[in-house]
Amino acid sequence: MKLASVLMLRSFSRRVLLLAAAAVAVVGPALAGPQIDQPAPPFSQHDQNGRLRSLSDFKGRIVVLEWTSDACPYSHKHYDSGNMQRLQARARRQGVVWLTVITDAPGSSGYMTPAEVRAWMRKVRSHATAVLIDSDAKVARAYEAKTTPHMFIIDKAGRLVYMGGIDDRPYVDPASLKGAKNYVALALADLKAGRPIADPVTRPYGCSVKYGP
Amino acid sequence: MMRWLAAVVAVLAFTGAAHAAPVNTGHLTAELVPQTQGVAPGATTYVALRQKMLPGWHTYWRNPGDSGEPTEVKWTLPAGWKTGDIVWPAPSRLPVGPLVNYGYEGEVLLPVPVTAPADAKPGQTAVLSADAQFLVCREECVPEDAKLTLLLPITAGAAPVDPTWGPRIARTLAEAPKPAGLSAGFEKRGANVVLAIAGAPLKGTADRGAYFYPYDSTVIDHGKPQLVDRGPDGLTLTATPGYAFQGGAEPKSIAGVLAVDGKAYELTAQPGALPAGTSGLGPPAAKAAQGAGIGAHLGLISAAVFAFLGGLILNLMPCVFPILAMKAASLATHGGRDEARTRAHGLAFGAGAVATFVALAALLIGLKAAGSAIGWGFQLQSPPVVAVLALLMLAVALDLSGVFEVGTSLQGVGSGLAGRGGLAGDFFTGALAVVVAAPCTAPFMGAAIGWALTQPAAAALAVFLALAIGFALPFVAVTFWPGLLSRLPKPGPWMDVFRKALAFPMYAAAAWLAWVLTLQAGPSALARILTAAIVLALAAWIGGAAQSRAAQGRRPVVLGAAAGLIAAAAIAASIWPAYAEAPMNGGAQVAHADFQPYTPERLAALRSEGKPVFVNYTAAWCVSCQVNDRVVLSTKPVVDAMQKYGVAYLKADWTKRDPAIAEELAQYGRAGVPLYLVYGANGGAPQVLPAILTQGAVIKALEAAAKKG
Repeated sequence: MKLASVLMLRSFSRRVLLLAAAAVAVVGPALAGPQIDQPAPPFSQHDQNGRLRSLSDFKGRIVVLEWTSDACPYSHKHYDSGNMQRLQARARRQGVVWLTVITDAPGSSGYMTPAEVRAWMRKVRSHATAVLIDSDAKVARAYEAKTTPHMFIIDKAGRLVYMGGIDDRPYVDPASLKGAKNYVALALADLKAGRPIADPVTRPYGCSVKYGP
Repeated sequence: MMRWLAAVVAVLAFTGAAHAAPVNTGHLTAELVPQTQGVAPGATTYVALRQKMLPGWHTYWRNPGDSGEPTEVKWTLPAGWKTGDIVWPAPSRLPVGPLVNYGYEGEVLLPVPVTAPADAKPGQTAVLSADAQFLVCREECVPEDAKLTLLLPITAGAAPVDPTWGPRIARTLAEAPKPAGLSAGFEKRGANVVLAIAGAPLKGTADRGAYFYPYDSTVIDHGKPQLVDRGPDGLTLTATPGYAFQGGAEPKSIAGVLAVDGKAYELTAQPGALPAGTSGLGPPAAKAAQGAGIGAHLGLISAAVFAFLGGLILNLMPCVFPILAMKAASLATHGGRDEARTRAHGLAFGAGAVATFVALAALLIGLKAAGSAIGWGFQLQSPPVVAVLALLMLAVALDLSGVFEVGTSLQGVGSGLAGRGGLAGDFFTGALAVVVAAPCTAPFMGAAIGWALTQPAAAALAVFLALAIGFALPFVAVTFWPGLLSRLPKPGPWMDVFRKALAFPMYAAAAWLAWVLTLQAGPSALARILTAAIVLALAAWIGGAAQSRAAQGRRPVVLGAAAGLIAAAAIAASIWPAYAEAPMNGGAQVAHADFQPYTPERLAALRSEGKPVFVNYTAAWCVSCQVNDRVVLSTKPVVDAMQKYGVAYLKADWTKRDPAIAEELAQYGRAGVPLYLVYGANGGAPQVLPAILTQGAVIKALEAAAKKG
């Protein structure tokens, strides 16, 4: 009896392992994805000036990650209206580190060289601390970034405290910005006030992140 | 956004519904199309938004998946008219890198119910206006919109069906997902969410894969695969939880569409309480499609054709060579005799091969039904079988060397039935050929058998039959083709020399099997198999002596019996007691210094580091694998390429039956080794290399895998 149950247990755990392995085999590490209230996945990536930026550089500060693509109408909704830049400016005034991430692989229409990123930052008047050029999708894979925009907030202790959409209006129409509930602004306000974040996980919306082949 | 005037206008001399010209919005053509040519007061008809996309472009389902936005229709209707929600057809999965979207490619009809008010005046025509907004995407996404109108006459009685669109809308509505009385439950299990679904429509039908499309985009991770397990009353899907499960939370229910067997059912799963009878029968065939799409859509006919080709090619595989040698010898024996007799021999051989394949198929099906995770070549994964085969090869070799004689021909040696000689001997040569050939999963065979093993018994049998016919055909054809046969050398003294020369491949086969046995059961098995071999040789020698006594007209009973007993003892000793299990990373590692043993964890770790990975699914008893190893994988250009591109080399050893590896092989539509996968540094699904490797192909794949971005 005892032996049988041990065997059953072994075969069960093996099955679980197998399922996990199969999941991993197809799309990469399933368990390594971002988890709310857990330490944020570490990363290092070069910014628009060729400087290597690591999450560990910003210990003790709140960090916002914003995925964007200049080829995406949803990102344009937030940039063309100035909504994103206002949010960036307000966050920066509060001492928040704002990292915009461009994952678009070379060959996709949103891909930009460092020089093009610098020009784009001037054009849109970005208030980001830096723009990470994530063409090899290192950061995107660590955070399983799905859309542009896709937003993440990391608190001063390095824990992931928000992940999801920028607001509750998953539409491309600029008119949808009016009256939208901006989850990132609300989460930053909650963090500042020392309150628990009301909506720590929301649905990200937008264009798909253009992972390379 | 846009305001459109509502109006009911009388239109002169107007007989049917008319729609404004289709609108080309850039990447698709949109129009409103009616199910009926009008509508009676108080009645409901359907009007569909038709989207015809440019090739490669798609629009989205109600849950667009990881990105995107569902199509939206804003109606502007005359007073009193009502529309309902879009009846969404079941979507398809649209992968974009590691992400998955749900949507429609090609063309889609999105029907919407439209109800006329009871006081609508027959004879008048209603103007239905719609502002359709949609995101149309290929790699990039373009938001487009179309202002569409449809003129719908109000008829006194039931309106006639629209000849063009009526049947198509009716079909779309009929095929749209509907509730089917399915009971469903979900449960978070470790890192997964398990969704179990039971109900009458799922009984015994879930053979072609299943996929659950959730209505809510936060309940499962769309980009991760859904693993399917079937049960007698339904199925169980194991998926990766979505955002709704973050931070220990759980959704109150999971609603969506289950697509299975080309049908789609609506269901709502409640937490806990998984319905019974939804697991235990293993994954359906289309699981391979979820893995990499290999061999999944292989129809029965193409599977049979591949199996037939595989059977033909099997004749050329190195591990069949000893048997080919025997066949050649037996052909030489029959050469010059009358044609009918030769044909009979050929047919007997063919029948033996076919019967054995069918028996193997029956065995596989039986074992599979018993829930055993087996694969092709499983016979050689059991040490006693390997030991007995090694002794069998030795006995054949000793016979060929002339130590003893079995009957009047060479066939059927070791089967114990060869004494019947003649046609029976040919029959058992065919059988023996199959037993030895089976482990060499030839390239054409892998997909066909992988497919067959996941099919109903009849289909599996058909595939095995095709395989057998392909395998036996060359030999049978040669016996039917006198031209070919007459080119064979005439019998003569050379035959004895030839026969003795043929003994050596058989000795080699025996030695190889002994080596396989030591890999399976450790060095102690070597002493045992060698002892058994010597005892068997002794038995053969005594048996030979008995035969020569008999030839001299003396009674061979004592010696013959002694030979039989000793041989039986040798074989028994090779089977019993059970062999100890050897640690698998023993012998095999000696040949290559630079690979790591495969574990799923190791693969995951390497992939998360962004390293390209080469995985070699191999087995000591698989000759194709060994040939690939020697001729390609352990050559300097390939080893150098692995170093140059920083490719991690993992070896998954299937020499001993390992269900974990068997399941992974099944994922790629294979029932046996070899299987070579190359995972790129960028992630995503691996590249599957052909079963017969060349240096160039491997190096090219390694180079591509190392490329980033």
